[in-house]
Parts: sequence; structure tokens; C-alpha cells
Amino acid sequence: MKNKRIKEDVEHKEWEKSFIKSKDFKKIFYYNQKTNVRFGLTFMATLIDENIIQDGILPNLLEDEFREIEDIKQLVPVADVQICDDPSLIEQKLMNGYVMLTIETELKHFGFIAAQKEIVRGLSQPEVEFSVIGPKEAFVESMGQNLNLIRKRLPVKELIIEEFTLGSLSKTSVAILYMENITNEDNVDTVRQRLKNVKFDAITDSSYIVQLISDNSNSPFPQLLDTERPDRVAGILAEGKIAIVVDGSPHVLITPTTLVEFFSSFEDYFLNWILSSFFRLIRLFAVAFSILITPIYVATLSYHYELIPKDLMSTLITSRREIPLPPILEALFLELTIELLREAGARLPTKVGQTIGIVGGIVIGTASVEAGLTSNVLLIIVALAALASFTTPVYRMGNTIRLLRFPFLFLAELWGLLGIVFCFCVLLTHLTRLTSLGRPFLEPLYPPRVVDMKDALIRLPFEAQSKRPIFLRTKNPIRFSKKKAKKKKDIDE
Amino acid sequence: MKEQPIPERLQISPFLVFYMVMSIQIGIGVLGYQRIIAMDAGYDAWISILFAGGCIHVIIWLIYKICDTAGGDIVSAHKYIAGNFIGKALSAIFIGYFILFSLTVLRTFIEVIQVWMFPEISTFWFSFAFMALCVYIIFGGFRTVVGIAFFGLVLPAYLLLTFGWAIKFSNYYNLLPIWDHSIKELLTASYHMSLTFIGFESIIFFYPFIKEPKKSQKWAHLAVLTTTLIYTVLAIITFAYFSEEQLSKQIWASLTMWKIVEMPFVERFEYIGIANWNLIILPNVCISVWIASRLIKRVFNIRQKVGVFFVVAAVLSIINFLDTREKINMLNDSVGKMGFVFNFIYIPLLFAAVMIAKKLKKGKKK
Repeated sequence: MKNKRIKEDVEHKEWEKSFIKSKDFKKIFYYNQKTNVRFGLTFMATLIDENIIQDGILPNLLEDEFREIEDIKQLVPVADVQICDDPSLIEQKLMNGYVMLTIETELKHFGFIAAQKEIVRGLSQPEVEFSVIGPKEAFVESMGQNLNLIRKRLPVKELIIEEFTLGSLSKTSVAILYMENITNEDNVDTVRQRLKNVKFDAITDSSYIVQLISDNSNSPFPQLLDTERPDRVAGILAEGKIAIVVDGSPHVLITPTTLVEFFSSFEDYFLNWILSSFFRLIRLFAVAFSILITPIYVATLSYHYELIPKDLMSTLITSRREIPLPPILEALFLELTIELLREAGARLPTKVGQTIGIVGGIVIGTASVEAGLTSNVLLIIVALAALASFTTPVYRMGNTIRLLRFPFLFLAELWGLLGIVFCFCVLLTHLTRLTSLGRPFLEPLYPPRVVDMKDALIRLPFEAQSKRPIFLRTKNPIRFSKKKAKKKKDIDE
Repeated sequence: MKEQPIPERLQISPFLVFYMVMSIQIGIGVLGYQRIIAMDAGYDAWISILFAGGCIHVIIWLIYKICDTAGGDIVSAHKYIAGNFIGKALSAIFIGYFILFSLTVLRTFIEVIQVWMFPEISTFWFSFAFMALCVYIIFGGFRTVVGIAFFGLVLPAYLLLTFGWAIKFSNYYNLLPIWDHSIKELLTASYHMSLTFIGFESIIFFYPFIKEPKKSQKWAHLAVLTTTLIYTVLAIITFAYFSEEQLSKQIWASLTMWKIVEMPFVERFEYIGIANWNLIILPNVCISVWIASRLIKRVFNIRQKVGVFFVVAAVLSIINFLDTREKINMLNDSVGKMGFVFNFIYIPLLFAAVMIAKKLKKGKKK
């Protein structure tokens, strides 16, 4: 074996100047055994899989007859092999995990051989959107893997995947997915345009995209839904919505969305429609309860105790008799405690977090009642409100609801029930003004569309879901043709 | 100057006119109209409500005819009959009318709050917050205004059911004998319904914002019909609940009727009712502020964003001077009268003028 390896310190070209400072930049020269042609491999050692070079590329290039750069297409057993003569591509290719091949006879041409190192976390169960029934796969951080999970569920050629590169530093690849024959072209154009307009240097997660392309970025409400369930993405693509997959993020974005979608769990589709409608209504009630109950307590006890009937009043008075604080301070104290517990619990490792939750919840709660700082009725109310806020199936919306309680509390202290209604009016206006991709966010509540109510506050059976949501203005509004001839059977027929 | 048509994405579906008309009609009048009409026509006053409702259908028909002929809102109609300058001068009067309208609604609502809930609430600061909310709504465009009108009607609709409690304690013999008042008395009562009924004339101002306006006419009629029925039923329940003498002492009869509502966890329902009324008042005020600012834009060519602040400033600076029950009452009466004159005298005249102008223009073409 006359395998001569020469590491040369040739004069550096312009593009190499910053590369050479990094330790993972490698440039190695070899000689072919048959033709004695000298060729060089350039690559970033941290990005490529060295096994591919050692087993797939080098043996063939060293031992087989290798004369000109065109030969690599025959010699190298790798699918993605490109030859080009544009030096401006070098940086991008090297940084995407390609090995660059140069040959002394043809200095103007470069060969690029794909040798990316794929570090993929194994598929795991959805953690944020866990469901008892239904598929247990969740997205991971690799875009290729995520696209595979979606494609597998919609194996048709009409599912289009368009790719963009965003972020001047992070060069994140972002893909938009839509059904060519269903999705409204205007919506796709809007998404394309918004993605192209993104001006930010490092996009490390899909949440960046959420904030960068939202219609109103000053709103506490999320206007793009993020999900970690491939089945949910497949479901919405079939409805005519658009999905945005971001490389490096285990959450896929869905747009356009409506408010009610944030309160529907994908598990709703796995259950019988009566049950799922019931659960949806429970969830809506829970949200309203969670936002309003503490402010109502503050408003009634500060201003309108006449509202409460005699018998109920006596319970309240007994529990509040020894409390030195006005209702608003009492409520703020408990609400803040709960918020602290949540924040602490969310930042700590699971096991410690659980302990903190128990210590905080039970000990602080009981102790503050015994110490006479808060009334036990309020403790029950605040705990229930916290519990109710956890019923929102989308985590982002849960956060918004946490925040919403506080303006209501302050206005309840200021103007009693009137303040609560006033705050509700502001909230309503805000929601009416919001749009997602230019489509009204409150649809089908406003603008009222009875047809779309079939999958909003309640979910009707699949037989009734023969049309796609009309607010999406899809190219093909019919999901399946209803057989009108289906005669209803009479009794005993 | 050529008028630009409203782009379709800013227009509203025809059926939303139903909510617009109803939500601006139902406002503060409904809290206490029973006593006022019963003063004239006694317990036959429900006939007057039906009669007034019938007249409004005619006016709605006239409004649609005017707008259709002039191809736009009232400013276009004025231009159509009197040319650019006089037309704009005529339209400018209505800016004042709608500022007064929003002022009346807001101030009377605050009066209700001060009498029933918070005697010490500051008129200025509450109206300030309220107007800030209106500005926020109007900046969202006409569609947001309609959205608020929609929710302002649908969400508080449950309040209608709460009047059901009064039915248990009603005595329908109060209404008998029917028709023991003269036609003149009945007509006066109808006239006094003005304040409660007005608001439907807003169609003539937002007409260009309706998609396929001709289709919306039936919704406008349906809205007026529904309001008329609600008013009539509510009046009948009130008349059966109170005796005539009791009613003459109830300034806000509807609110008094809430006192009877009793649930295991709630007494004194009027607190909840009045707080909820905030949602009903909101579209009243913001539609009229929207119209006033829109008129400013159309007449003076000022941006609507600037016009809104002008209107709000006007409302906020006048509202402080309305501090006694007498002044508020006077304002209510005069706005009611102005509404009556505008709806039942001016619109028919405008209709006649538009028709004559149309004939003349046709003649010229030939």
C-alpha cells in the first residue's frame, strides 16, 4: 500500500480565511492509486459522518480509476452527489454537511458529496398533548423525520412541501405543507410572503416563527397553533389549512386558526361525538370559570354582597370574619402563590417539582388559612380556578388564560361587576379585531357561520362533517359526497 | 371628486344588518319606556308600540329606496338632490345628532349606574374608559363595530328570560278593558316611543358597507319586527306586574322587575343585569360615534382616525356638564324629539326630494 497522505499548507483562498480558524475544518489531500491524480477532501468534521468517508467515499476514490471530476458520479456510492463551478456555494454546502471534493486537474469545478451526520432523538410519546386513545407518536427535532411522519399519513402527490431558509445566522430550513388541490392559494401566498419577510438572525425554534409571522404580535393570544402530534397535522392539512415545519423544533405550526381550535383537543376526534361535544363544553366552562371566578369573588365581597342569598352569605362571613385583608389583597396573595408554584414547578426537575407542588400547595394553602391570612372559601375557589385552567388542551392558550385573570381582578376591585363586564368587553373587542392569516380569529362565532359550528363548540358526527370549514375558502369544499339515497330504515324492516 | 366604492373585504354580509339594527335600537330606552307610554295611553299603550313598529317598517322601506336611488349613504343622497356644497352642509347637521345620541345613551347609562349600583362612580372617568374602548373598537374598522353589535345583542339575550320571573306575579286583568283610550292618546304614546325605537336610521349611514344591500332589506325589517315584539311583550308583562299607579312611580320599570328574580345563589339580580347592560350600551355608543366620525370624513375630508378623536373629545367635554336628573331628562327628551323629526319627517321629505330629482335627471337625459 503506497498510500501517501500529504497535508499541505497551500496558500489560502479568500473563502477559507475564517474557516481555517475553526478546529473542525478539515482539508486533506490524497493520491489515486491507479492514475496518481491528486485530489482533496474538504469538510467540517463536526457535521459529517466519518463512516461515510471511510467506508463509502475514500476506498472507491483511492482504488478505482479516477481521472476527472465527472467520474465521482460513478465511483461514489452516495445518492446526493453534485458537481458545480460556483465558489459562492461552497460555504453553504460545507455547512450543510457536504464533503467538498477538488481535483488538481480541474480547479474550477467542485464536487459535493452528502455525508450529513444525522443525530435524531428516537420517537417518543407526545408530552404536552398526551391522549389516552389514539396514536402515540410525537414530532422530534429533525425535519426529515417529522416530514416522514406527516407524509406517511397523507400518501398523495397533492401534498406539497415547499422549503425556505430563514435566519441570516441560523440558516434554519422551514417547510410549508399544504394540499395543492384543497388549500386556498391566497393563504399559501400569504404564508410564503410572511416567511420571506422574516428578518431575524437566529431562528432556533418554531416559536420564533409564531411570533414573527403573527398578524398581531402585540396580542397575548397565540394566532398560530403549535402541535406535536403528526395525526393532528394530517387532520388539518386535509381540512385545507397550512402546516409549517421548522427544522430543529418538535412543534409544527398550523395556520390559519380560530379561537375555538385552541380549546379542542385532537382526542375529541377519537371519541364518540356526544362525549367529545360534552368534553368541549366542559372545557369552555372551565376556561370561563377559571378567568372569572376570583374576580367575581372580589367584586361581590367588595361591593355587591346583597347579591348573595342569606344562607350562602353566612358561610362566607364565617370564613372571612378573622381576615384582616380586603378581598382584593387576599385574592392577589393566593393567585400569586399559585403562579409562583407553577413557575417554580415548571423550571425544576420533575421530581423536585412534584415535591415543591405538594409542599407549596398543601402546606402554604392550609397554613395561610390557619394563620388567618386568607379565607378557606377563597382557597377553594383559587385552587379550582387553577385546576380549571389546566384543562386547555393547548399549552400556549393555558398561559394566556393565566395572564387574563389579573386585569379582570383589578377592574373587579375598581368597578365591581361592572368592571368585570367592562374588561370582558375589551377582551371581546380584542378578539374580534384579531385575525389569523387575515381570517377572523373568532370565526364561526363572529362572523357567525352556522355551517362551521359543526366542529366548534361541539363536534358533530363525521357523517355531518361532509364540508370543509368555509372560512378557509378551500378550492374543494366537499370532503366526501353524502349519499342522499341512504334511506332511513323503518322499524322491523 | 369621485366616490370610491367600499372594497368587498370591508363589507358585511346582508344578514348582519339584523344585528346592527337591533343592537342600536335596544339601549337605554327599554329600561324605562313603560311608564312614559303609560302616562299617555294607560294600559292600552302596547297598541301604540305595535303601531309605532308598523310605521318604522315604512321608514325602512323609504331608507332603502333613497339609498338605492342615490347609490350610497345619506351624503350621496344629499349630493344627489342639492349638489356638493349644500349637500355636505345638510349632512354636517347629522354629526351633531349622532354626538348627542351617543352622549344621551352614555350619560343615561351612567345615571342608572349611579342610582342603582355605585352612587360615587365618576362620570368623567367611566365615560373616559368607555370612550377609549369605543376608539379601540372603531380603529378595528367597520367589521369590528358590527362584531361588537353582534355580541352586544347575542350574549345578553339571556336577560330576556329573567323577565319570566315577573310572569309568576302578574295579573293580566290589569290590561282590560282594551281600547279605552282615544286614538289621539294612542298616537301620543307612539310618539313617545321615539327614544326607545330610534337607531334604525343608522342604515342610511352604513348602507355602502353592506354586501348586496338589496338582500339586507328583509333583515332590517325582521330586526324591527323583533324589537317591536320584544317591546310589546315586555310592556305587557310590565303592565300585568305593576298596577297603573305603581308604574307611574317607576322611572326604570324594567330594572325594578329584576328585583323579583331569585336563584339559590343569586339575589338582587339587577346588579348583574345592569353590569350586563354595559354590553348592550356599547354598540349603541360605538355605532353612533362611528357614524359621526364617518360623516366627518365624508363631509370635511378629514381622516376618520382624527374624526373619532374629535367626536370623543366632544362627548367627554360635554358629559361633565350633565350633572342633574333634570338635565339628563331634558337631553333624553330632546334627542327623542330630534330622532322623531329626523325619522318621520325628514326621511319622507328626503325621499320625495330624491324621487323628484330622479325624475328631473331622467328628463334631462332625454
